[in-house]
Order: sequence, then C-alpha cells, then structure tokens
Amino acid sequence: MQQAILERPATREATEPTGPRSGRRSTLGAKDRTFGFMIALPAVLLFLVIAIYPLVSSIGTSLYDQSLLTPDRTFVGFDNYVAIFGEFMARLGTTLTFATLATIFPVLLGVALAVLLNARLRGRNILRGTLMLPWLLPGVVVSFLWAWIFNDSYGVLNHLLTMVGLPEVSMLGNPTGAMAAVVIAKTWHSFPWIMVVALSVLQTLPAEQLEAATIDGATRSQRFRYISLPHIVGPVALVATLEFIYNFGNFDTIFVMTGGGPGDSTTTLAVSLYQLAFGSYELGKASAMGVLWLILLAIISSAYLLLNRRLEKR
Amino acid sequence: MSHGRDIGEAIIRPRLSIPGRLGLILLALFGLLPIYWLTSTAFMKKEAVFALDRPLFPVDPTLDNFIGFFQNDALLQALANSFIVSTGTAVLSVLVGGIMAYSLSKFRYRGRNAIMFMFLIGQLIPGALLLISLYLMLSSAGLLYTYTALIISFTTFTLPLVVFLLKGIIDGLPDDILEAAKVDGLSRIATMFQIVFPLVVPGLITAAMFAFMRGWSDLLFALTLAGPDKQTLPAGLTQAFIREGTADWPALMAASLITSLPLAIIFILLQRYFVSGLASGAVKG
Repeated sequence: MQQAILERPATREATEPTGPRSGRRSTLGAKDRTFGFMIALPAVLLFLVIAIYPLVSSIGTSLYDQSLLTPDRTFVGFDNYVAIFGEFMARLGTTLTFATLATIFPVLLGVALAVLLNARLRGRNILRGTLMLPWLLPGVVVSFLWAWIFNDSYGVLNHLLTMVGLPEVSMLGNPTGAMAAVVIAKTWHSFPWIMVVALSVLQTLPAEQLEAATIDGATRSQRFRYISLPHIVGPVALVATLEFIYNFGNFDTIFVMTGGGPGDSTTTLAVSLYQLAFGSYELGKASAMGVLWLILLAIISSAYLLLNRRLEKR
Repeated sequence: MSHGRDIGEAIIRPRLSIPGRLGLILLALFGLLPIYWLTSTAFMKKEAVFALDRPLFPVDPTLDNFIGFFQNDALLQALANSFIVSTGTAVLSVLVGGIMAYSLSKFRYRGRNAIMFMFLIGQLIPGALLLISLYLMLSSAGLLYTYTALIISFTTFTLPLVVFLLKGIIDGLPDDILEAAKVDGLSRIATMFQIVFPLVVPGLITAAMFAFMRGWSDLLFALTLAGPDKQTLPAGLTQAFIREGTADWPALMAASLITSLPLAIIFILLQRYFVSGLASGAVKG
C-alpha cells in the first residue's frame, strides 16, 4: 500500500510534463541536498557513537586482559579467543536451540490464529485485541508470570495436573524442563506479533482471486493451500527471520526465569556475555565472545537482507 | 463486486468449522489463561497461594499487594524513573528520528543509501553485544548511572524502527506541499516543523508509543547502565523480588500488573495506529 502511495507523484509527473517549476527534482537544488544531509546528521552521529563505535571498539577490548573493576589493561592478543572458544561453542548450541524453538512455535501459533481469526466470527475484533495483551507486557513480567506458573511447589500448572490426577512435572528444576519453560514463555510473548502481521497480510489478499478460484471449482482447502498460503509465506518468513535474530540475542526472558540454569543448561550467548562481564568482570573475554557472536550475526543478517530485498522487488 | 457481496464475503471469510472453533478456543486459552492467572494472583493473600487447598480464583480478594507496592520507596522511585526515561526516549526518538525520516524521504544526496543500510543493519544488533563498550564509554564520559545514559541508549535502539515507520508515512506526502511552502517563502526548517510534521501526527504518535514501550520494557541496560538510583521498573522488580530468593508471588504479580498497566492504557487508547504501525514496521523493516 505504501508502495502505491510512493508511485503516485511519479505517474502524475509523467502525464503532466509542464515547465521546470512543477518538476519533482528540478527545484531541489544543491542547497536543498545540503540541507537534507545536514538534518540527517543528528541521527547518524547518535547511531555512529552509540551503536557502531561500540561494535568496533569491542574488537579492541577483546585483545586485552581487562577487568571491569580496574582501568588498566594488558595486551594479550588472541588469548581471550582461545580461552573462551569452547565455552562459546557450547553457548552457541544452547542459543541456537532456544532461538529456533522460540521462533518456530510463535510462527505456527501466530499463523494458525491469524487464519482462524480471518474467518467470519462473532467477537473476532475483541478476541484479536485481547490476544495482543501478551505482546504488550514487558519481557520481565512475562518471565515472572511463567516462573510463577511453573513453580515446582506452588505453581498453578502442577496444581492443575494434580487436580486431574496426573503426575507433577518439574520444569525449572531440570535442564530439559527449563529449556521448555523459557521457550513456552517466549512463544507466549511473541505469537501476537506474528498473528497481527499474518492477519494484516491475509486481509490484503485480493477478493477477485479467491472468487475466481471458487468459480473454477477450487475447494476451501485448495484455496487456502494455493492462494492464501503463498500470499502470506513471504512476509511471514521475513518476520520469522527477524524473530530468530531477536531471540538469538534474547536476555530478559532467560535471565529472569532461570538465570541461565540449572547448571548452564539455558545459558545463551547474551546471558553468558552478561555473566562474564558483570559477574566475573572479565571484559576482555566477554568482548571476545561478543566478536565471535558478531561474525555469526553478520551471516544471519545477510539472510534477512536478501529476503527483505526479494520481498521489496515483488 | 456488484454480484452478491455476501457470496464474496463468504469466500474471503468463511465460517469456522467445528474443529476450527475448537482449535481457536484452545489457542485463545493458551493466550489468555496466563493473563487471568497474573491478575487473579495479584488479588490473593500471600498465605492463600502457599496453602494446600489453594484456590484457582481470589476467594478472599485483597488489595494489600498493590498497597505494598506504593509503600515501597525503591519501587516507587523505579516507577518514577521508568516514566522519566521512557518519556525522554519517546520525545528524543521522535524528534531525531522524525527529522531523519524527512531527510531520507524528501532529499537525495550522496550517502543516503549508506545511511539507510546502516539503520537497516542497526535494527538487528542485540543490546548485549554493545553492552561492554557502551558501559566503558559512558563511564569515561561521566554519564554512567544517569537518566541521560539510558535515554540515549534506548533512543539509538529505537531509531531504526522510528525512522522506517515515519519515512513510509512522509513518503506519502505529495511534494507539491513542500513546493507551495517554498513559494510562500517558508524556510526549510519552518517547512519541516510547521508543514510536514503536523501532517503526520498519527505517525509521530505511533512512533512515540513504540519508543516509550522500548524504554519501559528493557531490562539489560536498566540493570547495567542505570545504577540503583536511576534504574527503571524491570530492573527494580528483578532485584527486589528475585534476588531476595523468597518470592512473594502475589506481591510480584501485583507489581507486574502495575508495570504493565501504562502499556495497556497506551494500547487501548491508540489501538488503531498500533496495529497498522506494527504491521508496517515489521514488514517494511
């Protein structure tokens, strides 16, 4: 829709080729270009100083033995990388497990809800509105809530299981349970976002296509399989990639619910980096961890950018 | 469209089958039951939730958990900090991001594409990755443990979203308006503040809302860059309840509700802008 708005001035220009005054670019002289560049500076500078410079400077820090507590530091070359490499690989495995599961489930749930809510249904606006609530809550609130639900002794989950005669489960006390718990909490937090995106894309589906297919004898499931699904697959893939990248760097869900435990079964890269820097005060090692992570992020981000470009062309 | 709108409507929005209805109910329960549990625990007495025959709804409801929050000086300070930091983030993000969006939307200059690319990438950088350098930098600038530290950090991370959201909207403004302002002798700065921004107020509100939410919800920076006096609610709650080891769950749920309430109010007031902003912000990157 935004694309359509964008194109309007250009087409009008093409149909009314009049004097230089009405031309779109002609009155934008060199001074305007300078002005445009000047007003971009505040945001660009802020971004360079707060986001880009720290990235570069962390490469420097990763080559030093540096503590959070004392200002002096010694150059150690790649020692930090050697020291943390094993740990990095272990944390990477945990991070990938969490990020993958915490992306797949919200996507499945969000798309399913979008398809169901796209049907003719009384009260669907109210339902859609209330189902947005989990997404609104701050990450820490989501974590507190699910930690309380999963509490071994007093949690409502075990209470309900006991009431219907099923055995209790220990979620946060064992490695598999803890991973499941953080994935469920994150799924609950993220699905509304996917749902809203999928729903808004479904609603842009041209009615003519569906009608034409019906006239041609397509059944309801065929219409879904061959028209609706291909229509939403691109935008949903884009959102899923974004969700994966965000989950990869997730801190609050895991830190509050499990603190990375039990043991280090839910210690992802973000939690590990925090613990190294602010728990053990090992800034050099934490930075080395961050640089390796940055390299991975660059690879994943390229996938996102490719997907983004392909969708914009469509 | 002329032939039977009902038939068209039935195809686009078919009625739900019985399994479809059941599925919807199950999924909706997964979405909503935790909200119920959050709310109802907040009204329960502390002894009640630890009792053997603990009820599934507040039998003997109490407001003590909420009163307790407002009698806790540290939490009240965190609440005030949250408002200061989030409002600051919203204002700064919309100001800096709005000007940036106008620049990207209506001007062509060398480096424009590079700037767009930088923001697109910047959206993907996780906070944890910048944490150490940011900490060291703010520390040597003497800004550690200040509101400013939090506000500029949150603003930076909100900028990509704000810029792309507003750029999409400003793109829709016809250039004739800018031409007319120029012919009328309005300065470039005045055109921006008196013509362009007033025309995109809904977009500015949406952007401000997202920025406010970002500042309100963050934990990592609040925990590390703010210090005990300036920390916002997420960090305050984490330290007040989790670190002590003995979790007073009803009090924690009440505090969680209070923490979530401003966001819920914003959502209800601005739902219309919200859904469109969310969808466009995500899909347009």
